[in-house]
Amino acid sequence: MRSRQLFSQTNSDTRIGLYVAIPFVLFMGLFLIYPTVAIVGSALSPGESGFSLIGLGNALSGSYRQGFLNSTALAATTALIGGVLGLTLAAIMRSLDRPRWLHSTLDSWSAVASQLGGVPLAFAFIAAIGTQGLLTKLFGQLGIDINDFGISPTGFWGLVVVYLYFQIPLMFLVSLPALNGLRKTWREAAALMGASPTRYWLRVGIPILTPAALGGMLLLFVNSFAAYATAYVLDPGGALVPLQIRFLLQGNVISGEEDLGYAIVTWVIALLLASLFLLTYLQRRTLRWTRS
Amino acid sequence: MTKVFKWGFLIVLALFFVVPLLAMARFAFQSVPVALLTGETWLKGWSIDPIIAASTEPAMWTAARTSALLAVFTIILTLVLLLPLAIVTEIKAPRMRPWLTALTLLPWVVPPIALVVGVSVTFRTGAPWFLASVFSLVPFYALWAMPFTYRALDAGLQAISARTLYEAARSTGASFPTIILRVILPNMKASIVAAAALTTALVLGEFAFASLLLKETLPTFMVNFQQSQARAGLALALIILIFTALAIGIVVRTLRRRGLNVQTTGL
Repeated sequence: MRSRQLFSQTNSDTRIGLYVAIPFVLFMGLFLIYPTVAIVGSALSPGESGFSLIGLGNALSGSYRQGFLNSTALAATTALIGGVLGLTLAAIMRSLDRPRWLHSTLDSWSAVASQLGGVPLAFAFIAAIGTQGLLTKLFGQLGIDINDFGISPTGFWGLVVVYLYFQIPLMFLVSLPALNGLRKTWREAAALMGASPTRYWLRVGIPILTPAALGGMLLLFVNSFAAYATAYVLDPGGALVPLQIRFLLQGNVISGEEDLGYAIVTWVIALLLASLFLLTYLQRRTLRWTRS
Repeated sequence: MTKVFKWGFLIVLALFFVVPLLAMARFAFQSVPVALLTGETWLKGWSIDPIIAASTEPAMWTAARTSALLAVFTIILTLVLLLPLAIVTEIKAPRMRPWLTALTLLPWVVPPIALVVGVSVTFRTGAPWFLASVFSLVPFYALWAMPFTYRALDAGLQAISARTLYEAARSTGASFPTIILRVILPNMKASIVAAAALTTALVLGEFAFASLLLKETLPTFMVNFQQSQARAGLALALIILIFTALAIGIVVRTLRRRGLNVQTTGL
């Protein structure tokens, strides 16, 4: 009797939950799911002529293939460099107890800087490493032309440098919990059993950190793949996927090519969705050790 | 890792973060071109005229007003959509929580550029009047901020153990509205403020939606303005950057002090 009452109670509670969820579901459906399904649908039936994969194929050929390659290269490079530097930063900060103010300052600063990708950031780097930039001039006086290294805000390595400005803090933020999950007792236990510090890192530290580090880098990859504002300001004609989509969307090409835009967007969504699944998996692996 | 390496790394990184901002400030507030910058001229030509030039631009105020209104409406929409849902999920239907966690991450999979394409396919034919208004940006901003805002609210509920509070209040005879209004909401103030401030920071910096839907907000105005008045444009960008940084920084510190670990990273 009692258990049945409990059961019906839970049921009515769940029903209340579902009622409250109705506006949210409608909102998501109208503004997120419906537009997304419409794109994927259009991409799969180019020219309203029934199901076809031709559009998806076209989106990966010619200059659009180059766009995907450029965006992937940029995202992977910034994810890798940003990931390593951010992880190093987190490791250094964990090993430093003092000064205290540095910890709180860096925490706050990282939260800020990881969100700074945008128009002001692009301007800042034009002022620093553009042709009339302060650093360009400073290094010029030392006899070094930074453009020789491909570092100008519109070049590949320039974009990498700009993106690192928000990628490093982001990696720092996401890898800190994982690093804190490495308990001192593990290291002591390993030392007691005669393991050298190198052996401890190879056998314990790195294997435990790997899912978190990979997950963080994946997040960085997604973060820079979809970044739009910075790329738009620095290199509006650039061959990056977000800029190519804009080009197709604004009808700067012969009509009938919208389908191509939809197909490119479909690929981007597929890529990001796959990353999200992988990320969730990696996070579950990470939580196994960081959960107290 | 030796001490030298550690501090060397930290100093290089600090320079990487600070120097572009300094270069930006110099460009904005010093009228000496970089080419003429020498040991003698680096103190000359500093003035705050670019700020005055930017602030006397009427279009700037129009754009700023639009952005501010967008931020307010986005905050309202976010709270109306997510706050009741987050509370009820936590205290009444915890089985919905994993679903909600996954669903609120979805906006992150469809980047602004992709969503704008979808929106122009669906709304331009079905409801063209909708996209004509600048406030058509509000639902998309609410969507885009959702991975952050939902997590801020959820972290608040977890931190105060809302379910225990709810059961304690109910066992002492409080009605459901009383519990929500006098127990749960006052305790969630910090995370509501955090969600609002994060939304503000995101809306003030958002460029992709506004630019692609041809709306004049502060960031899109800034890009056009900078092309005609380079120095005033950079001064404006610097001010907005500092303002955003302060907003996020203050929120992070307040939340940390209250023991709330709100992730601002979308996960």
